[in-house]
Amino acid sequence: MVRRIAQKLKVEWLLTMPSLVWLTLLFVIPTTLVFAIAFKPADPWGGIGAGWTLDTIRSLGNPNYPAIIWRTLWISFVTTACCLVLAIPCGYYIARAQQRWRRLLLLLTVIPFWTSFLIRIFAWKVLLHPDGHVKRGLVALGLADESTMLLYRSEAVLLVMVYTLLPFAILPIYAAAEKFDFKLLEAARDLGATPWRAFRQIFLPGIRRGLLTAVLMVLIPSLGMYIIPDIVGGPRSEMIANKIAQRTFVDRNVPHASALSAALTLAVMAPMLVVLLGRRKREVS
Amino acid sequence: MKRSRIPVLTTWAVLIFFYLPIFVLIIHSFNASRFSGAWEGFSLRWYIRLFSERDIWLALKNTLIVATATTVLSMVLGTIAAFALHRFNSRLQKVHYTLIYTPLVVPDILMGISLLLFFVAIGLQLGLLTIFLAHTSFCVSYVALVVLARLQDFDFAIIEAAQDLGANWWTTTWRVLLPLLAPGIAAGGLLAFTLSIDDFVITFFVTGPGATTLPIQIYSMIKHGAPPLINALSTLLLIVTFVIVWTIQHLTQEEHV
Amino acid sequence: MADFLQFNEVTKHYGSLTAVNGVSLNIKRGEFFSLLGPSGCGKTTLLRMLAGFERPDKGRVMLDGEDITERPPNKRKVNTIFQNYALFPHLTVRDNIAFGLRVAHVAEATIKQQVDEMIDLIQLGAHAHKKPHQISGGQKQRVAIARALINKPEVLLLDEPLAALDLKLRQRMLLELDQIHDQVGITFLYVTHDQGEAMSLSDRIAVMHEGRIEQLGTPAEIYETPHSSFVAAFIGDTNFFDGRVETVVDKDYCQLRIDGFPSVICYNDKRKQPQDLVHLSVRPEKFRLSLEQPSLPPQHNLVEGTVQEVVYLGSQTKYLVNVQDYSLAITQQHSRFLLDQRPIKWEDRVWVWWHADDGYMLDRYREQDEALLEMPAH
Repeated sequence: MVRRIAQKLKVEWLLTMPSLVWLTLLFVIPTTLVFAIAFKPADPWGGIGAGWTLDTIRSLGNPNYPAIIWRTLWISFVTTACCLVLAIPCGYYIARAQQRWRRLLLLLTVIPFWTSFLIRIFAWKVLLHPDGHVKRGLVALGLADESTMLLYRSEAVLLVMVYTLLPFAILPIYAAAEKFDFKLLEAARDLGATPWRAFRQIFLPGIRRGLLTAVLMVLIPSLGMYIIPDIVGGPRSEMIANKIAQRTFVDRNVPHASALSAALTLAVMAPMLVVLLGRRKREVS
Repeated sequence: MKRSRIPVLTTWAVLIFFYLPIFVLIIHSFNASRFSGAWEGFSLRWYIRLFSERDIWLALKNTLIVATATTVLSMVLGTIAAFALHRFNSRLQKVHYTLIYTPLVVPDILMGISLLLFFVAIGLQLGLLTIFLAHTSFCVSYVALVVLARLQDFDFAIIEAAQDLGANWWTTTWRVLLPLLAPGIAAGGLLAFTLSIDDFVITFFVTGPGATTLPIQIYSMIKHGAPPLINALSTLLLIVTFVIVWTIQHLTQEEHV
Repeated sequence: MADFLQFNEVTKHYGSLTAVNGVSLNIKRGEFFSLLGPSGCGKTTLLRMLAGFERPDKGRVMLDGEDITERPPNKRKVNTIFQNYALFPHLTVRDNIAFGLRVAHVAEATIKQQVDEMIDLIQLGAHAHKKPHQISGGQKQRVAIARALINKPEVLLLDEPLAALDLKLRQRMLLELDQIHDQVGITFLYVTHDQGEAMSLSDRIAVMHEGRIEQLGTPAEIYETPHSSFVAAFIGDTNFFDGRVETVVDKDYCQLRIDGFPSVICYNDKRKQPQDLVHLSVRPEKFRLSLEQPSLPPQHNLVEGTVQEVVYLGSQTKYLVNVQDYSLAITQQHSRFLLDQRPIKWEDRVWVWWHADDGYMLDRYREQDEALLEMPAH
């Protein structure tokens, strides 16, 4: 008996060790390092100074940060809202489509998911370019004049973020809607509910988990987005991640970059924790 | 019952939204003009130019080396991790699961900067090796979760059936377990491969001189001109993507029936 | 001589739950033996200990004089038909059947010949190249049987093998299983919760309840002379009366007093004494029913009641008849005689009678069994 338990433990450790060691070495230790360096002073030559200090953390209150943090937050939340508004009808429609159509629609949703992020951003840079089709279309319609700049502004960042992150919202919502029993909607109608009411009070609560996953799948990458503001945004549409890269590569102020990263990570983990704790509490009760 | 037309209209609008920019890009890759604004006739000149760009080929080679190594190692590590997570239900596995799950939710930029600091701290030369280490760190998690999902659907009576028919542990693993999990492991591997090929942010942080991957190369092309060349390159990459997605669809289909 | 297959004082716990509690069981070579009981009674655990998937905490499992308690499943000459067949989804029908021989490193030529014979036997020649998901439930069942039998096991274990099939198919496979048992002549250990399956197939049945064997015997013994209220209720339907022995009439019969029911005469094989508390069990088909008062020989009970419900089932009719505080379930076969008469209808006054020997006295059941006794009649 004892030998069997000992053997089982040995097998468990053998199976757990490889990934555990790898992730400890290349994920836990480096992340801890970042959090530690946030409490170090910077030296003027781009290195890390000696001793410990709270100055770096305090400097996050520096006047130009709140603007960036505020921008990061509003762009992320508006992106998430737009993605939900578009993804809910899509998920609903794909789930209710006939088998053959459903396969095709799913395939069409999945392809952008697998397509290179950079290419999809670049495609919009071309479209929004001063010589691009969108601009010329708008000018032709009289909605813009020749001097209007479509690129390098927060709206462009927002548009491209919705474009790239939308599949991440559609797929979980579809997955939840596919398991939803659509007869419930008919039952609600039968009991006198309007379509809108049935949709809001029966369908949306029914796909609650899918909605939550969709929010996390869009919100988390949005908060840490670097590449989209970098390519289609300008200096006035920078987000936190851009500041981190700038502090690392341009200013060579590693403690500062670390403090920002730590703050960003905590901000990103917060909605995760809220959801997970909420879920656990509900399961307990 | 009359159904609202909002869902169908939104879905098609979204699909047009998805594909219009891509189609414009593909069409422009055949445009003889240097500028996307004007159409100057069909031409393959950008594709021909593409083939003479040594930097792109070098970047492609680097990308494939890193992606292949990443895929192989993360398939091995991820599959073993999934087995541990599935088989045991202990406190250790709770920690293990958290550790597997967290890399998926922390921002890319944190992984990038933390690995950069770590590699510098231990004095590791930045280059293909560090890119490979970084990529494997997040790909393991994806593979583990994909394989774990397959394991949860797996009917373990089949394993008992194999033992009942005289197969020992080794035969059962090789003849029954791995063949049945192969589509799941392959899907995880394909995901790892795509993620590795596509990763920009983390690579951007941990890359060193001479270790340019395709996304880094495309990024610098986007930043420093030559749009038609990117159009052509993008079109080629899109074709590769279609093939990969089609293969995955095929793998999962097989498994569904 | 020791029996072919033996469980000696076998016990198995899962945490605080005792799945099998000190079971001893001897099974003869070539016997068709069933373990019958509700879910959670320990029957599957017992089977899995014989297959080698579970090890008993206490006790030994012996096969043909050898102790196989600690032997791993792949080293036992025992094969299993799994509940959902557990066919290998990635292998064809042919490769599924060949699996055991391949693992045993039998020469390919021999494998081919034996598999061909087996496929002919189960008449799946046209489907040999198909994967399990392409064949029907009944065909899967036959592949599972062939895959087990090709290894020439000494015991074939069947774990609820018909549970996944629909009624018609289940009846056909029941016959097929019976024929296969006659053909191969090896020991079958059959686990089921369906008394009909167990009754029609088995040489002997062990009725299990809460990790113990409640009764062991032939199907007729178990049905006609249940040892406990649990067995009486679990096997077939029955009517229970709570009674007290009033007088012992002679060496064979006694008079029972039942609250809310007329006093009845009953066969007293258990030698009960006056004032003993007992249950009287009378099966629904043991009752007779008529509109006119019959004249009866001695040792018969006759009561009068009102028909509360009539359920026509084709081959038979079920009646619910109220007699004072009791509601009797009664089953009657149809006959010319009955059809010529005016049919018995709802609210008719009727006479109900039965022979004293058709009632069966049991000890009062334990309270925890009551929930089981209230299971809906099938």
